[in-house]
Amino acid sequence: MSGAAKIIIPEKRAAKTAVQTEARAKSFRLWITAGPGLFWVVLFLLIPSVILLAIGFFTSNDYGSPTMPLTLQPFQQVAGYSLLGWDPGNIIILLRSLEQAGIATVVTALLAYPIVFFIMTRPASVRPLLLLFIILPSWTNQVVRTYAWLELLGPNAPLTWVAHALGIVPPDLGIEPGQFAVTTGLAYNYLPYMIVPLYASAERLDWTLVEAGRDLYAKGFTLFWHTVFPQTVPGLLSGVIFVAIPAFGDYVVPQLLGGDRSLMIGSLIANQFTETPDWPYGAALTIIMLVFTGAGLVAFRVLTRKLGGAGEATI
Amino acid sequence: MTNVVPPRVRAGLAVISWPVYVLLYTPLALVAYYSFAPAPLQTGHSFHGYAVLFSDSTVFVALQRSLILAVGSATVSTALGTLLGYGLCRFRNANARGIAANLPSLIIYTPIIMPSLVFGISELIFFNFVHSATGLLAAGLGTMVIAHITFQVPYVALTVFARLAGLDPNLFEASHDLYADGIKSFMFLTIPIVQPAIIGGFLLGITLSIDDFTISFFTSGPGSVTLPIYIYGAIAKKGISPEINALGTLMIAVVIVLALAHFFITRQRERRASLLPS
Repeated sequence: MSGAAKIIIPEKRAAKTAVQTEARAKSFRLWITAGPGLFWVVLFLLIPSVILLAIGFFTSNDYGSPTMPLTLQPFQQVAGYSLLGWDPGNIIILLRSLEQAGIATVVTALLAYPIVFFIMTRPASVRPLLLLFIILPSWTNQVVRTYAWLELLGPNAPLTWVAHALGIVPPDLGIEPGQFAVTTGLAYNYLPYMIVPLYASAERLDWTLVEAGRDLYAKGFTLFWHTVFPQTVPGLLSGVIFVAIPAFGDYVVPQLLGGDRSLMIGSLIANQFTETPDWPYGAALTIIMLVFTGAGLVAFRVLTRKLGGAGEATI
Repeated sequence: MTNVVPPRVRAGLAVISWPVYVLLYTPLALVAYYSFAPAPLQTGHSFHGYAVLFSDSTVFVALQRSLILAVGSATVSTALGTLLGYGLCRFRNANARGIAANLPSLIIYTPIIMPSLVFGISELIFFNFVHSATGLLAAGLGTMVIAHITFQVPYVALTVFARLAGLDPNLFEASHDLYADGIKSFMFLTIPIVQPAIIGGFLLGITLSIDDFTISFFTSGPGSVTLPIYIYGAIAKKGISPEINALGTLMIAVVIVLALAHFFITRQRERRASLLPS
């Protein structure tokens, strides 16, 4: 027995070092292959964004560039305090951005459900094509597909005549520029981002549950709500994230369709780096925007975990 | 599954969906319609907008820059992203926990989640600092290519990773048993297997590059106007004109034709493959 034990121990040790060298070789290979790509993203995105965030805590000089000393003054500016007293402008812009992103998200979700199940109930051979036709507009350039709405909503455009006739929009004015145009533009731009994840979860739907529900005399909306909807929640939540976050910080849509009175936080931030430079103020605005984005993501993670959503294949 | 959904509901779904399909293409169709607007003081339809467009040499320079930007950035990001996706799938210790083990995922998802405006402004400031400190990286096509590579790498990596993660890990063991070393197994096993994903990643990179405006806008310099920036500038300056509509029409048409061609070619190839005896 003791002889056997003596033999086993060195073997175990040998096995252990073999495992260790293998692990070391593995991590070497990991850094050789994954290293360059990760290094690129760290150098050209993570470091720049940390610099941007840090600028929010510096004083602004006459040219709007950051200088010492460190201060929280940019954040007071964000909250609306200036030499002239308090102004609710920024709060209004922030709330408007949240509202616009929220409405766009709800609209895309409400449209996505019928479309996804419309595609699902077509023959399998035409489904990919129907999905492609949903995604296709989003492959055209952001500026082109956004300014295209000017043709539909501008002062002399067909939809505007309808709006004039109905008295929704005062005569001589277009629907654009305005909040309605921005909401429409956002919903149009981000609809595919809601449909694709929802479609992915609808494809995995367990239809036997629906049949079971029908056997239990569930009908119509009740049947959908208790059998189909819970299974699509993971897709819906992914869609909400993919729509709400970029819509909240969108730059092109409010810029082209919004006009001065429907300013969103994205344009406000951009202005601090282009037209009237004030980098620290712009950086502070960015931090506030990212805080809201981050809060949304955390809420999303908590919700997904609570609802037991099966995650997609992730790295 | 289709028989589970009653015909009445299916009809209802169609009634809601078809108008949305129409609405998706109405603005794009109007751009094309107005691109045939007549020359000033005339009526009817004409190619006036196209004539004006083609007589403007800055458009061709901008087109050239857009193509260099798209193909250049997609090539580099495909190389970096393929290696990245491959490395993470094959060599990462799946059981490891903690911050260090999650760092690669964090790095990959940041560019995807970050709003493109924040992305663009971060790059603007970074290139500005580097330029004033060293004189390198002046805002222009070079900085645009760098920025475009940065947002494409994670998407290529995810595409390749997804393809590899679906494979039987024994394949790699088998190549080892047949005396293939790391490089050989990468060249003769991994590359052929992930080839569709690599091509898909490259096309995705080009699509993302062509689609982007915001990041290009903030990383471009005075001498690096690309097509989207040209359009944006023209609209800001003098509103929509027939020549801008002509340019928009051509850009929309190219994307639609390429996407449909890619779709039908892949479908035919898949069909042919499914006819082969397995």
